[in-house]
Amino acid sequence: MITTKELEHLASLSRIELSDDDKKTLAKEFDSILGYIDQLNRVKTDTDTSARIGAVRNVTRVDVPETISADDRKKLMDEAPDTEGDFIAVTNIFK
Amino acid sequence: MNKIDLTTITVSEASAKMKSGEMTSVALTEAYLAQIEKSNKDINAYLEVFDDAIASAKASDKRRAAGKVGALEGIPCAIKDNILIKGKIASSASKILENYHATYDATAVSKLKDAGAIFLGRTNMDEFAMGGSTENSAFGVTRNPYDLERVAGGSSGGSAAAVAMNGALFALGSDTGGSVRQPSSFCGVVGLKPTYGAVSRYGVMAMGSSLDQIGPITKTVTDNELIFKTISGKDDKDGTTLSSEKTGIHTNRKPVIGIPRHFLGEGIKKDVLDNFDASIKRLENIGYKTVEIELPNISYSLMVYYIVMPAEVSSNMARFDGVKYGLHVDGANIIDDYFKTRRAGFGREVIRRILLGTYVLSSGYYDAYYNRANAVRKMITDDFVKAFETVDIIATPTAPSPAFRIGEKNNDPVSMYLEDIFTVTANLTGLPAISLPSGFAKAGDKDLPLGLQFIGKFGEEGTIFDVGKSFMGEV
Repeated sequence: MITTKELEHLASLSRIELSDDDKKTLAKEFDSILGYIDQLNRVKTDTDTSARIGAVRNVTRVDVPETISADDRKKLMDEAPDTEGDFIAVTNIFK
Repeated sequence: MNKIDLTTITVSEASAKMKSGEMTSVALTEAYLAQIEKSNKDINAYLEVFDDAIASAKASDKRRAAGKVGALEGIPCAIKDNILIKGKIASSASKILENYHATYDATAVSKLKDAGAIFLGRTNMDEFAMGGSTENSAFGVTRNPYDLERVAGGSSGGSAAAVAMNGALFALGSDTGGSVRQPSSFCGVVGLKPTYGAVSRYGVMAMGSSLDQIGPITKTVTDNELIFKTISGKDDKDGTTLSSEKTGIHTNRKPVIGIPRHFLGEGIKKDVLDNFDASIKRLENIGYKTVEIELPNISYSLMVYYIVMPAEVSSNMARFDGVKYGLHVDGANIIDDYFKTRRAGFGREVIRRILLGTYVLSSGYYDAYYNRANAVRKMITDDFVKAFETVDIIATPTAPSPAFRIGEKNNDPVSMYLEDIFTVTANLTGLPAISLPSGFAKAGDKDLPLGLQFIGKFGEEGTIFDVGKSFMGEV
């Protein structure tokens, strides 16, 4: 059983506002989903739980800045909800 | 010029007809736009039809006249709404990106452009590809062309329905747990989930980064192979991509087909099982050897998937903060901006998965869920590696049922998740898998399509295409 307090904590970590109704529905759904995936506890796994699948490997590359055209730059900026001059504007952090 | 019959035409035929001068890309594109105009208001496969499709077709006809002919020259297609086309809206069927314009092309899209393809529009989907019915779209459900009361499947329901309603010659979808194959099964079309790393994900919105692949949806296996070859290959912008010699491989022996009979029991509709048995008979009749195989841990696949996937979702969705792009809702302060924006912009399933992912990754639960899931994922992969010592293809039904009724599974997430039971293993293991139309189930006066799934060895799309073509009678 997931508690309302636990749900509120998860919502706070996830930066999502939840209404009381949301919490009620989610608690019910969580119980059903966790009840399902908890069956995994029946599996005997090796002690090595850090195992990764074969095809997955790290690929690195040199970190070099790419120059983009003024037009592409403008298009990127146009997607921001709020801008000031050449900058993306956010709500004041320091008052 | 004769009227173009969109119900039977394939990419290969259309290319041949344009080559011989019997048809132009403009005429073909006009025919598709007319068909979309007729069908889309009922089916809602397309979220937007592009107003520059005819102009692109004109440019293609010009290129052809000048002797410059790409592999998909003049072929009209549809693109899932989570794959970027520069300058077009890409919303992932979410309110949070409702007015977002892509600022660059996905690699798969630029490869299609280079090959001469025409983009008809962007297709509906479950929001951020999270769902199995396209009911989670913020812009309305996509209806199944075979029965408007039923879902088209998901999450690439719009792409599968677009091809099935004769509204595109092919479409791109994305597949994280079955999102290309299950809607292809529901809509009676061919859908491929390529080997992990075969197709670049640069420019597709990430959902589960260790699982996601872009895949083609077509009417024939031959067409599917052509699109796959066009969009696959190494890409510097996606570090997981493999060079083209490492995928699309054909086995050089007569493929043996394995059947995990022990996994085909509980929760599967009788129609589906009967059809599957008939499909296996058909394969035997055309000369394939079939053997029963054991995949001891396969029944845990879906549980592993519903831990790994939400964990990756919770991380990938963190980028939507109302600052750089997309929806912004003002709160009391900057932190509250995030809370308000994300609550207003995300639908219920997306929120559910973010919270679930946060839960399985949180301190105290990480070992019990995420680490255990990774260990079992490795065990499942080992089972497949072992099975592939004796067989070349593993066959299962694509989905446990034909298309279900709209609303039928809305209030029961687990029953919706069970739709992915046969498809998630290919994503967990990185193996290629295809869904082929295999017949119909009767529901009242309607015929609902069913699908047969082939899972191949790592990098062996060629083998599943070969057997797929002989199953479909294409050779």
